[in-house]
Amino acid sequence: MKKVLLIFLVLLIWAHPVYARLQIVTTLPWIGSLAEELGKDRVEVRALVKPRQDPHQIEARPSMILAARNADLLIYNGLDLEAGYLPVLIESSRNPQIGPGKTGNLDCSQFVTVMGKLSSADRSLGDVHPQGNPHYHLSVQNILAVALGMTDRLSRLDPGQAAFYRANLVAFQARVREGQKRWASVKLKGKRFVAYHKYFEYLAAEREFAISAYVEEKPGIPPSAGYIGHLVEVMKKSPPDAIITTSYQNARDVAALSGRTGVRSLVVPHDVGADPLGRDWVSLMDRIIDTLK
Amino acid sequence: MKIAIWAFMLLGLLVCASQAWSDDVAVKLQRLEQAIQKQEEMIKSQQRMIDELKDQIAKNAQPSAEKAIATTRKDEAPAIEPKEKPTLPSMSAMMSNPYLSLVLNNYAYTSRLSNEELAGRGISGYTHRGLERKNGFNLEAAELLIYAPVDPFFNLYVTVPVKEEGAELEEAYFVTTFLPMGHQIKGGKFKSGFGRQNALHPHAWDFVDAPLPYRAFIGDEGIIEKGVQYTYLLPLPFYTILGVEALQGENGVLFGPDASGGAHALSAFIKTSFDIGDHNTLLIGASAIKGKTLTESVAADSVFSGDSTLAGLELSWKWRPSKHLGFKLQSEYLYRTQFGQLTDSLSGTNVRLDRNQDGLYTQGVFLWNRFEIGARYDTLGLLKNDYLINATTQDIGRKPWRTSGMISYKFSEFALMRLQYNHDESDVVGKVNDELFLQAVFSIGAHGAHAF
Repeated sequence: MKKVLLIFLVLLIWAHPVYARLQIVTTLPWIGSLAEELGKDRVEVRALVKPRQDPHQIEARPSMILAARNADLLIYNGLDLEAGYLPVLIESSRNPQIGPGKTGNLDCSQFVTVMGKLSSADRSLGDVHPQGNPHYHLSVQNILAVALGMTDRLSRLDPGQAAFYRANLVAFQARVREGQKRWASVKLKGKRFVAYHKYFEYLAAEREFAISAYVEEKPGIPPSAGYIGHLVEVMKKSPPDAIITTSYQNARDVAALSGRTGVRSLVVPHDVGADPLGRDWVSLMDRIIDTLK
Repeated sequence: MKIAIWAFMLLGLLVCASQAWSDDVAVKLQRLEQAIQKQEEMIKSQQRMIDELKDQIAKNAQPSAEKAIATTRKDEAPAIEPKEKPTLPSMSAMMSNPYLSLVLNNYAYTSRLSNEELAGRGISGYTHRGLERKNGFNLEAAELLIYAPVDPFFNLYVTVPVKEEGAELEEAYFVTTFLPMGHQIKGGKFKSGFGRQNALHPHAWDFVDAPLPYRAFIGDEGIIEKGVQYTYLLPLPFYTILGVEALQGENGVLFGPDASGGAHALSAFIKTSFDIGDHNTLLIGASAIKGKTLTESVAADSVFSGDSTLAGLELSWKWRPSKHLGFKLQSEYLYRTQFGQLTDSLSGTNVRLDRNQDGLYTQGVFLWNRFEIGARYDTLGLLKNDYLINATTQDIGRKPWRTSGMISYKFSEFALMRLQYNHDESDVVGKVNDELFLQAVFSIGAHGAHAF
């Protein structure tokens, strides 16, 4: 019996370094990918939202609650994108470390410059986000700001490895700079798209292309036949370069619109993992620029 | 002389003290100078770091080749240092306003039965409580839901369904948020963790009305009790939660507010869940609740006094391959044992009653875009249907059952319409009931949570 206990104890001590890795739970895939890139083998990351899921419509599955229970750090998008499941997830996790205001709770939106804030809004406008457009991650400026903030938080939770996280941040910044050189050769400035949802506003602002109309009549509400008819007319009068959509949206609406207007439609990978080649933020951006060119 | 010595000593003391003080001051000043110097150095080095980062970010953000960013932004300054705004997650403006929402649940209803027949429609051998709905338009409730963190240690929830007869305090409870390692305590008046459907608000049900086993054993409203609940989320590789509750025992069908002088119900439950791939989630659970009973719901013009135990098994399966497609299956099996005195209110005669009965419901709902199409089957006395008066088995007729079909359409996340049809043979001594509901549920205010 004593031997068994001793072996157990040795195993426990031996296993300890495994548990010493920071346990990180993130909502969206790009947040998880960035955390992995900054934390490498010092962190263990679990992204709760799958790349092909609609980030607006997530249910707190019990497995997600369990992941949150064991987390040292919860990282999320913010701006009410996760309002439908994050409060219940945090409470049900029974883990005070990831509660609001704690070091283990990181809202990435605090680091970015938010577009599309609404001074007044009600739901007759659809599923609007009064705090601003929450899809801010397809922006060089924003991703660098988030990476910096995330590095700072990782260093606070794991001060012994601060230099390691800092080095990974510098490497990430270098990758982004390299990427920028590639993307700069693709001219998107002046292009005009019709988008399904307000998903590419930040990218449009950075790359100076225009989004002239939306397939959704109002955010989160599928288009009516009347609205589509109106959209077809508008698009025939002045055809945009393409209709852009994401893989989680209804492909048929877009295909029908494309068929009626002769404007090609593009499924743009919207998050890390939505396209098999978009494995992390930089390669995702490569895929997006490649799709849009 | 003595005075002189004293004066001298005092002077000496003063000098020494002042010397010591000045020494002290000198040391302190020196230290202060050193500290300031150190701080200056630190500030300088920090400034260097900030400048470096500024350069880096500026380089990243605005490559010389093209001014990619900031031309369309008002705020040109890139984030240099992580700005830590003290924000609550996804709950803006919650400091001043609690999270508040209102859900209106109403329906139009038509049945083969008259309103009198509906009001008197019990399930013989199970409950003699009638149905509350009437032919025509029915207002279930306008349900006010209030929630906010109290402080860093507790969250508070209040549910007030406002009905035509007035407002009710259906739920009012706190939940701890400070207990670590998977522990949590809930207290106040709340929906018991017993079973699956019990914890759901009526507006979140997949069908307009409660399943038959619920109606028969705990009533349409379910087990909502004053008391305290302790739950523990186990440190296992798969989700497993354990819970125990001490409750007042006021449920009008299973227990009764006056069944004993104090709290007289206890419950326990265990639930576990697995994901099968990215699209499937399975939840299974077992629950039990027992307590003292004093109720008039057993049979007409009679009072029952005794002990009751209700046990339940639950199964939920959700398949959700995309947001346009899905299927959910939910099933519960309930088993109730009860023994005690049944007193006829008119004659005052006493008999001993023993009831061991069970019930099952299974419902499946198919999701397609904004539509949900579902079917439900409920039955009572499936495996056990013992009704003994003075140890003699009574014939309470054939098994009660009911079958339902529904179709619903979601205009948005906040508005839903549902058409439901029931073929109800639950009252084995009464008529068959065919009923049709057209329900509308609207929700305004804060965004509700999507629990599994």
